[in-house]
Amino acid sequence: MTAKMEASEGKMPHNKLMTYGLVIAVVGTYLTYLNVLTGVAVFSFFGGIAAVAALWWGSDTIKHLCSYGLGTGVPSAGMIAFGSGAIAMIVGTKFGIASPIVTVILAAILGAVIGYTANNIINMNIPVMIMSLMELAVVGAMTMLGFAAMATGSFEFNQLIIGSMSLSVESAGVAAGGAQTFLVTAIPQYGNSLIGGAALAVIFFLGALALQHPFNACLGPNESQDRTLMLALSCGFLSMIVVAIISFVFIGLLAGTISLIISLIAWFYCYKTYIDLSKRDAYAWLDSKPIIEVGGDQ
Amino acid sequence: MEEIVLGIGITALAGALATVAGAAEDTESDIGSQGDPNSQVQLAPQMGYIHRIFNKAVSGEPPAYGLWCAIGAGVAWAFLQLNYNPALAIILGSIVAVFIQGIYCTSGYLGRTASLAKFKQPVYIDILKSLTSVTMAHAFVAIFCTTAVCYLMSAALHHPFALPLLGLIWGIALGAAGSASGNPFYGKERQYQNQKFGAGVPISASGNIVRYAEAGQRSSLDNGWFTTKFAGPASGICFGLIVFLELWRTVLFEESLAGWGAVIAGIVLILIFTFIDRWIEVWGRKTYGPYTEPEESSS
Repeated sequence: MTAKMEASEGKMPHNKLMTYGLVIAVVGTYLTYLNVLTGVAVFSFFGGIAAVAALWWGSDTIKHLCSYGLGTGVPSAGMIAFGSGAIAMIVGTKFGIASPIVTVILAAILGAVIGYTANNIINMNIPVMIMSLMELAVVGAMTMLGFAAMATGSFEFNQLIIGSMSLSVESAGVAAGGAQTFLVTAIPQYGNSLIGGAALAVIFFLGALALQHPFNACLGPNESQDRTLMLALSCGFLSMIVVAIISFVFIGLLAGTISLIISLIAWFYCYKTYIDLSKRDAYAWLDSKPIIEVGGDQ
Repeated sequence: MEEIVLGIGITALAGALATVAGAAEDTESDIGSQGDPNSQVQLAPQMGYIHRIFNKAVSGEPPAYGLWCAIGAGVAWAFLQLNYNPALAIILGSIVAVFIQGIYCTSGYLGRTASLAKFKQPVYIDILKSLTSVTMAHAFVAIFCTTAVCYLMSAALHHPFALPLLGLIWGIALGAAGSASGNPFYGKERQYQNQKFGAGVPISASGNIVRYAEAGQRSSLDNGWFTTKFAGPASGICFGLIVFLELWRTVLFEESLAGWGAVIAGIVLILIFTFIDRWIEVWGRKTYGPYTEPEESSS
């Protein structure tokens, strides 16, 4: 990409955006705990909202980081966010009810280490590098945690690795002294779970592309913050549609349908608004018109 | 023995599917100007060359196809868990993936073009109307074939990885194959037909891409017409060979030396291809003249 990078002056300050993003992400993930409290899975979609909030914040972070002339680095920023976030998220889910908080802390530490390595050891010398990579790692971890909670209805490790239980019946006659008794043990099935079935890989890439796409698509001299952020919301809800479809496996028809409808409506609204904003920013909006020559020396 | 015969059959089928996938992938990305040719399409308006080329900025091809194929395989996996018929599950997965791909394409074009307002590049909305469906159709073929290859590996060859992970890996491989072998036909040749053949792209010609066609103004369909003939088959052969040889060595040599047979076969294949590449390079230099040494300059 040889485009000259001139990030627009944000109308909303980045710190304010970060606060909103982080708070909504954590609170949204916790709201999926209503599933456990009420015993139904219909609150799973809050995980998706949390993930979208994290992506919304993350795309603004990418804009800050990449305005330091990282042209082709825009897509890679999405990848490193989710690469570091994935580790934090999987470790974080082992902490039960504290999982979202622990995930945030672990991701921030991981991001700081990666940022320090990039900035001080590889000598990339970008002033916002450490802070940005910390933010991006948290964004990656919270997006994956949010979408995982949305797909399975829970943010706890066991729910993510165990898809179902199968019963194994063994004859224990000899051990029990001749009487015909059976040992019935429940064997967990891993292959049809979120992590065992590798559906988490889909979430990883859905998030990584949704994170980098808004700024990558909107970069240029006339980039404007509201349009980029609206695209971030649109990409987030678009990813949420796919997660909603996958969630039918784990949380059943009713809860899956609720998630799907919410994400479809939200995506449609954001996408339509994004097209309107593009229309506002574009030089001209033409249908089947010839090239307007402005004076290339051909 | 029967198992090996079945394995070879699956290998041949997967190779054929991969060839189709590679050809479709490259045609799709060239019509959308994805990957490295995108930089020139993006640069042209800044140099004063307003154009009517589809500027589909969705990262590079490997991550993008990693996502499309992961969605295809992931959704197919979900429907398989719900006991859908495999063929139907793969088709549904590909449809969902293509839907996402189409949305990403349109938002990429609108975003990039709207951000170039300073250089007076208008948004030609008919480009979106006419070309998005074409790229989606090609992407569907590519995603469907790749997901089918992954399903064959998982169901028939009992690959230990789950279907979505296979989709992700082979999607990245597909994007890389198309990006490496197909894109030069578009980015180095088709975009610069106004330059001397073989001249490379001098700095002074940056952004001066061909914008007018044999008749009228060049649209990305004209680029697709060109790359379907040259770049598509090249990418198809590339990806087809990758899939075919990968499965072939596994099926034939996995049993020998406790699994190391397949590893050794893989290393031998890499050495053979390195030799062939070197031979072609030397042959090309001898036949088409030596490289001229770049002039030493202070810059």
